[in-house]
Amino acid sequence: MNRVLRIELRRGTAPLAALAMFGAGVWMLVVHPDHWAGRWAGLANYFRGSMLILCALMVAAGAWQAGRERRRDLDELIGSTSRPGWHPLLVAWLAVALAGSVGVLVAFAGAAVLVAPVATYAAGGWWWTLLVGVVALGAATACGTLVGRLWPLRVAAPVAGLATYLGLGVLLYQDTTAAAWLSPVHSGWSVHWVVPDRVIAGQVAWLLALTALLLAAAARRWRVAALAGGVAIAVAVPIVTGPGPHRLPADSGAVELVCTETGPQVCVSRINAFLLDDVAPVAQPILARLDGIPGAPRRAVDHAAAPTGTPDTPDDGTIWLSLEQQSTVRGGLASPDGLRADFRAVTWPQCPAKPDREVSQQVYLVSGLAAAWLLDEWNPTDPAPAPAPADPALESLRAMPLVQQRAWFAAYLDAAARCDVSALLTLGRPR
Amino acid sequence: MTTLSIRGLRVGYGRRLVLDDLDLELGVGVHGLLGPNGAGKTTLMRVLATVLRPDRGDVRLLGQPLADDAGLRRARRRLGYLPQSFGFYPRFTVREFVEYFAWLREMPPAEIPLAVDRAIERVGLLDRADDRMKHLSGGMLRRAGIAQAIVNDPGLLLLDEPTAGLDPEQRVEFRALLRELGLDAVVVVSTHLVEDVVAACARVSLVDNGRLVFTGLPDELIAAGEDGDSGDSPIERGYTAVLRGAREAAR
Repeated sequence: MNRVLRIELRRGTAPLAALAMFGAGVWMLVVHPDHWAGRWAGLANYFRGSMLILCALMVAAGAWQAGRERRRDLDELIGSTSRPGWHPLLVAWLAVALAGSVGVLVAFAGAAVLVAPVATYAAGGWWWTLLVGVVALGAATACGTLVGRLWPLRVAAPVAGLATYLGLGVLLYQDTTAAAWLSPVHSGWSVHWVVPDRVIAGQVAWLLALTALLLAAAARRWRVAALAGGVAIAVAVPIVTGPGPHRLPADSGAVELVCTETGPQVCVSRINAFLLDDVAPVAQPILARLDGIPGAPRRAVDHAAAPTGTPDTPDDGTIWLSLEQQSTVRGGLASPDGLRADFRAVTWPQCPAKPDREVSQQVYLVSGLAAAWLLDEWNPTDPAPAPAPADPALESLRAMPLVQQRAWFAAYLDAAARCDVSALLTLGRPR
Repeated sequence: MTTLSIRGLRVGYGRRLVLDDLDLELGVGVHGLLGPNGAGKTTLMRVLATVLRPDRGDVRLLGQPLADDAGLRRARRRLGYLPQSFGFYPRFTVREFVEYFAWLREMPPAEIPLAVDRAIERVGLLDRADDRMKHLSGGMLRRAGIAQAIVNDPGLLLLDEPTAGLDPEQRVEFRALLRELGLDAVVVVSTHLVEDVVAACARVSLVDNGRLVFTGLPDELIAAGEDGDSGDSPIERGYTAVLRGAREAAR
C-alpha cells in the first residue's frame, strides 16, 4: 500500500491539492497577519477561521480525485480486480487529505517561524484547535470523495467546493448556538479563551465519525456507514445540547497580567506581553496627562484580562485596551493610533442610548473636543493621515494655561459621568 | 482440463436478450472469440471479467463459482482483463500504471516490482516504462493495457480487441506473446481480425445473435467454407459460411 500511496501522492490529485492548499494558506495568512501574529493561539484560531476556504478546496479536490475512475473510463477494469473497492478509495482519499493538509500546514509552519521568536505564551491547548482543523480537512476530503463517486462529472468538483463554502458560510451565522461546534470553521473566539477539553474531544470524535460515514457511503459499505452514522449522531447530540462557543472561559495563564515597572501603570496579558514595550510608550503619555485629574483612569490594562461583563467605559480607574489584532508579523504594534483611540472611551458621556438627535450631535462634538485634548491630536503618531482641520474650540482650550486645561477636562469628566448635557454644552465653548 | 465453464448463460439489457442459453467450456490455450458486431462478444467478455452479473446461468472461472463472494475474489486474483474501451490515468507512468493494477489484483507486495518489469518487457515497452501514459501512442497504450492484464500471470486472460491500434510488426509480436501465454493459461481473445485467430488461437468460438454457433479448431472453421462463400481468405469464407448456416437454421 505504501508504494501505491506514493504513486497517488505523485500522480493523483494530491500534488495539485497540496499546491492549492499551500497557496490558499499563504494568501489567508498574508491578508490578515494582525489576526495571528505573535500568538500561537491566534495562529491556531486563524487556521480554523480559514477552514471556510480550506474545506471548500479539500471537498473539490476529493471530488476530483474520486470521479477520476469513471471520467477516465477505468471503472470497469478496476471492477474486475480482486481488491475490495474501498482499498483504492481509501488510498486515494488518504493521498489527497495528506497532501492538502501538508500543503496548508507548510504555509502555516512558515507563519509559525515568525510567531516563535515573538510569542510570550505557548500553553493554552492551541494545538488541539489545530488538530481539530486537520481532522476537519480529512472529513472535507471524504465529503468530496462521496460527491465524486456519486457525480463523476468534471463540474462536480467546483460545484461541490462552492456549495461547501456557501454552506459553511451560512453555518457561521448560527455561531451563537452549540451546533456551531459541529462546523470546522472557527466562529471567532478570542485568543485568550480556552475551548473545554470535552468540546475538543467531541469535535474530533464527530469529525472522525463523519469521515468514516462519508467514506463508507462512497465505498458502498452500508453496514460500516450505518455504524459510523450512529457514532456520529451519538457524539453530536451532547455537543449540540451543551453550551455554545460564546460562553468560553478565559485561559488563566494567558490573561495573567504583565505590567510596566516604571511610569503610569500599563498592563497586558501574558499572551500579549510581547507588545508591552510598544504599548507602554503610547499609553503612558496619555495616562501621565490624566494623572491627578479626578475621575480619570490611572492605569491601562489589556482587555483580554477584563472579567466577563466588564463595561468598555472605565469606572474603576482602569482603561481597557484592545490588543486582539494589534500585532505586526514581527511582533510590533500594528496601529499605535488605533491603540490611542481606545482612550476615547474615557471621554464617552454616560448618556442614554437614544437622546434628542440634535443634542446628541452637540454632545458628540464636545466629547470629540475632550478626546482631542486627551490624545494630543494635533500631534498624531501616524503621519500618514492628513492633518485635522484647525478646530477653534480646541485652539481656545490649548491656549489656556495647563492648570486650567486640566480643570476643564476634570469638569468634562464630571459632566460626562452624570450626562449633564447643559454642562457639557457649556464646556464645548472653552474661553 | 476445463478451467472456464459456462452453463445456461443468459444476459439481457432491459428487454433485449444479448446472450441466450449459452454453454461454453474452455481449457488452457488461446481461444479466439469471433462474431459480428452486436453478437454478444463484449457482453460475454464482461461476464467472464466479472463486471457484469448474468441474469441466469452458472459461471465458473478457474474452478471458482462466481455466485459466492469468496469464489469471486479468488477468481479475480487470477484474472487478467483488457476491456475493449481501455482507459488510463494520463499522469501515471507506464510502470506506475502497471504497478497500480498489480496492487489491485492483490499480488504479494514483494513480487510486484519484478512482475511489473517483466510484464512491461513482454509487451516491448521497457524503454518507455518511465514515460507518462499521456505521452504514449495508441499502439503503445494498448500494449500498456496488455501489460497490466498479464502482470499477475493470470490463469484466465481476457483480451477484448487487443490488436486494435497495433502495427503489423507489433501484431506479429503480440501473437507470439499470446502463444506463450496460452501455454499455461486460458486466454480468450475477442476480435474481428480472423487472421489473428488463425495465427495465434488453438480453438475458436463463434457467437451470433447471443448464441454460440460454432466452437472448434481454426482448421475446422476453415473447412466449413467453400469457394463460393464470400471472403478473401479461407477462414473468412469459413466464418461467413458458419454464420449463414446458423442464421438459416434459426429461421
